Amino acid sequence: MPKCTINGKEIEVKNGTTIIEAMYENKQSIAHYCYHPGLSVAGVCRLCMVEIEGNPRVQIACNTTIAEGMKINNTSAKVKDAVKWGLDFHLINHPLDCPICDQAGECGLQDQYMEFGKYDPEMAEKKQKKHKVVDLGPTVVLDSERCILCSRCVRFTDEVSKTHELGLFNRGDRTEIGTVEGIQLNNKYSLNVVDICPVGALTSKDFRFRQRVWYLKDSETICTGCSTGCSVKVYFNKEGMFRVKPVYNEQVNGHWMCDEGRGIYKFTNKEARLLKAKKGQGGTWTELAPGAAAKEVAPLLKKAGDSLALVLTAQYTVEEYETILSTFVNTFKTKKIFFWINNKESFDSFDGLLLRGDKNPNTKGLLKTLQKYNVTTSWAELKSGLDSGAIKTLVVAGPENQAVFPDLHERIAEFSKAQNLIWMQAGSNEKLESLTGNVTLIPLKTFVEKNGTFINHQGLEQKIKRVTTIVSEALTLDQAAHLISGEEIPVFVPPTTETLVETNRRPDEVMLEHRKKNEFVFRRGTL
Amino acid sequence: MSVVQNNSEKNKWYLIGILGGMVITMKHLLKNLFNKKKMDTLNYPEEKYEYSNRFKGNHVLTVKKDGSLRCTACMLCATNCPAECIKITAAEHNDPTVEKFPISYEIDILRCIFCGFCEEACPVDAIRMGPEWQTPAVNGSKFIYDINHLAYRPNLKGGILSHVDDEERHKSGI
Repeated sequence: MPKCTINGKEIEVKNGTTIIEAMYENKQSIAHYCYHPGLSVAGVCRLCMVEIEGNPRVQIACNTTIAEGMKINNTSAKVKDAVKWGLDFHLINHPLDCPICDQAGECGLQDQYMEFGKYDPEMAEKKQKKHKVVDLGPTVVLDSERCILCSRCVRFTDEVSKTHELGLFNRGDRTEIGTVEGIQLNNKYSLNVVDICPVGALTSKDFRFRQRVWYLKDSETICTGCSTGCSVKVYFNKEGMFRVKPVYNEQVNGHWMCDEGRGIYKFTNKEARLLKAKKGQGGTWTELAPGAAAKEVAPLLKKAGDSLALVLTAQYTVEEYETILSTFVNTFKTKKIFFWINNKESFDSFDGLLLRGDKNPNTKGLLKTLQKYNVTTSWAELKSGLDSGAIKTLVVAGPENQAVFPDLHERIAEFSKAQNLIWMQAGSNEKLESLTGNVTLIPLKTFVEKNGTFINHQGLEQKIKRVTTIVSEALTLDQAAHLISGEEIPVFVPPTTETLVETNRRPDEVMLEHRKKNEFVFRRGTL
Repeated sequence: MSVVQNNSEKNKWYLIGILGGMVITMKHLLKNLFNKKKMDTLNYPEEKYEYSNRFKGNHVLTVKKDGSLRCTACMLCATNCPAECIKITAAEHNDPTVEKFPISYEIDILRCIFCGFCEEACPVDAIRMGPEWQTPAVNGSKFIYDINHLAYRPNLKGGILSHVDDEERHKSGI
């Protein structure tokens, strides 16, 4: 356990720790591009310079292991000067097209320049021209001119995804990142190279030019793409969700996440959502407020008695399962509760890194709650019940992420055999809206709009926090469970003011707590 | 309300004042009739007073040599705008040297406070404030100016050329 001094602070580190790791742990800032804690050390950017006492020249921190009694300093004028001119070399061939670069705002070059650079360039030669807008594969676009050749992406494909698509070609200032002819950057983790790229050389096709990053807010949550439950950040603004990025979590995902998980923001956006509750009778639909619709079905469910059944998908939080199960078991006195398993064949598959075949965030949580309420039913019972007419009223908590339910259409057709179908889910679905029986569709909230707990495949409980509100009127499964059992939920009732003008509030409108601070709804005041 | 009448002697000489006023009016009338060029007034709206080119009025989007928009949709003007009246939707251009361009660029001129920050923020001289200032319209929607109006309205005569040219920049190796 060698002891050393970093910027005047004495610390003790493990054997074999490099200086940059020690600085990371002690939250000291150091300029660097090529070093990434999840990858091997390359030592090519020459920016993480530190001064070590007794050593006449500055050294790189990422490839120097700490020895006993080292006195390290990275705040001296000598180090700052070294970084400054190191940065000048990086910017020799950089096109400085920040206005059209997607990375602007979160760019390593911009940050370091503001901190260490601020020099006048002394290069008289012309800039080296390289390839622009290179289509690397289905997800990533490359701009070689912006690349500073830190080789993070090359190391990522070599060490993490182990697909070896990317490489460095040519020599000297003509060096470029690229793929061998005929090969595309096409793997399940390809978008991680966009995250680790410190400049705007690699950009995501999905996010490219859609928003400037300074218009986005971010918030941490859990990916609901599969049962791994990676820690992620979602980026959003008033117009909706825009992207998902991984957050370091040692227990679950490390530094990375899969490309599939990055698409989960799509079903939370308003375009894909069910905005109002819909009531269908013989193919004619009427729209009403979600809360009102849930209240309306309450007497129907109470009457149903033994012919009532519930189908659950593993896409909701533990708290929600708890409420809906206690409603059905205790209030409606039925244990006909079924677990809808999507893609049964690949349910237990695992690709060795992060991706799991179980595309639900909370399978463990659902099974745990079912066990707690002693529910033991098989799918065949539901089938035979629907066929024989023993199940007349069916409540379904449908999938939040409909893309991972390949059997969705089949199941909708199957469930529509029930006399009354109450389908609760976040997203809109054409097939559901073309049903002709007695159907009530109730919009639910997605994982970014509620608090709760997910239990991942390891049994790790992870809390999620409400990020924002997208469809303010939608209910959580928790609220829906209370309303369909005839209970009231605490609602926000705005203080009544005596006005001469009639308000535009409907008598059946359910005012929820979130409504008052919802930033997506602009309410104009009454006159 | 009581009206106080002023019946003093001095007040009876009002006619002289009126006639004096009439003389001035007639003098101007005759002057304007015989020398129209020196007339101080304009027949608005048929005649309009043009301000200097440096006046900061309605926005103009400049164009490149080929007539396409100079704007690169970097959103710096929209970010800098204190009135939040600029709305840009960016898209990918087929030409890799252009890369990014605005498919829609809208300015809500009723929200605009003509501060000129957009002009200052623009890195490529794509937006300027022009000398136009009298732009009435029949309803609110006409005050949201789109690309067609901002860059190609008739009185710009095919668009105003930007000072910053990418081709020249690339040639000189910047």
